[in-house]
Amino acid sequence: MGLLSNSGTFVRFAVEGEMPENFWEFAAERIAANAFKDIDDNYEEYSIGWVSVMNMFDSQFAYASHAVGDYIVLSMRIDERKVPSAVLKKFCMKEEERVRKEKQVPKLSRGHRLEIKESIKLMLTKKAAPMPAVYDLCWNLANNTVLFFSTSAKVHMALEDLFKETFGLHLVLQVPYLAAAHLLNPAQEAELAAMNSSILL
Amino acid sequence: MDLVDIIAEKRFLGQEFLTWLWCKSEERSGAIDLPGIGDISVAFEKHLLLEYGEGESHEKVICQGLQAELNEARTGLRMGKKLEQARIVLGRGEYEWIMTVKASMFDFKSVKTPKTMASQEDSDDPMAVEGKILEKIGLYEQALQLVDELFRLYLTVRLSPGWEAELARLRAWIRIKE
Repeated sequence: MGLLSNSGTFVRFAVEGEMPENFWEFAAERIAANAFKDIDDNYEEYSIGWVSVMNMFDSQFAYASHAVGDYIVLSMRIDERKVPSAVLKKFCMKEEERVRKEKQVPKLSRGHRLEIKESIKLMLTKKAAPMPAVYDLCWNLANNTVLFFSTSAKVHMALEDLFKETFGLHLVLQVPYLAAAHLLNPAQEAELAAMNSSILL
Repeated sequence: MDLVDIIAEKRFLGQEFLTWLWCKSEERSGAIDLPGIGDISVAFEKHLLLEYGEGESHEKVICQGLQAELNEARTGLRMGKKLEQARIVLGRGEYEWIMTVKASMFDFKSVKTPKTMASQEDSDDPMAVEGKILEKIGLYEQALQLVDELFRLYLTVRLSPGWEAELARLRAWIRIKE
């Protein structure tokens, strides 16, 4: 459901803040600094960064540039090691049972059980393969809007943080009320602010 | 006002726009005259989602199918339900876009762009790739431009003294039983 798929799902953001001079140079440098770093060969739990829209393994933009005409086109990639809760529960119960038998006690204390849970979670997280997710983005520099190909609020938060970290600029989701402000003159904007819902019945 | 308050307090704006657009699309058999653009076609089809109430009493009704189900959605409007999501076909000249619009947030889902020659090509050449990306972005932006202009048309009448008459027409349209 990304930028180049047959059908795309997206929202629109407005970009707010001062754009630096020699923007293209700045953008290239900042995108490189925030490029995606693979965690397949280490035990990191989470990684987020930019990759090419054409290839999720290309964080150097070797095959396609992030600069396309008057647009910056990128994908935000998030890899995360996750342990399904049922799996965590099963291994915790198994370990609690083993320790209980070993110590020959009828019940483990709450503190001890929490300790077991923590160490089991760590062990399973290290074993879990990172789950990848890729979300496309295209930034129109002429009108400073971003099309972002996900409607998830959680993913939007991750994007807003990464975008701020990369470019030092804020993204504001264009819900109807905010989109309307771009289409109206100042006098109409004031009327819009005071407007209430009409009764349609 | 921060975004959370805007979403809560001004939720009605997108929903009212979508309801107005549905009514407007039936006035001239789907043709809507956009200032500076001319006639475009707007058709509501297959999928409508209405909602009612807030918090725990929040209800959703999905009407899917052809004309009969759209009538059911109209009945929903008569009962005070709000139109939250609709599948819309927008046509301009030879081009046609199909999209699901979520009214309260302006989420654009499963947007199908018109088929073009370039979109059929499968080449790894960097110039061709760039061309393909630019064309796709252009098609999405054209769809958004049409939605923006429709929204501007609604806002202009909504904020004008003409809204009372428009509202009367909208109410009459909601009351009509097919």
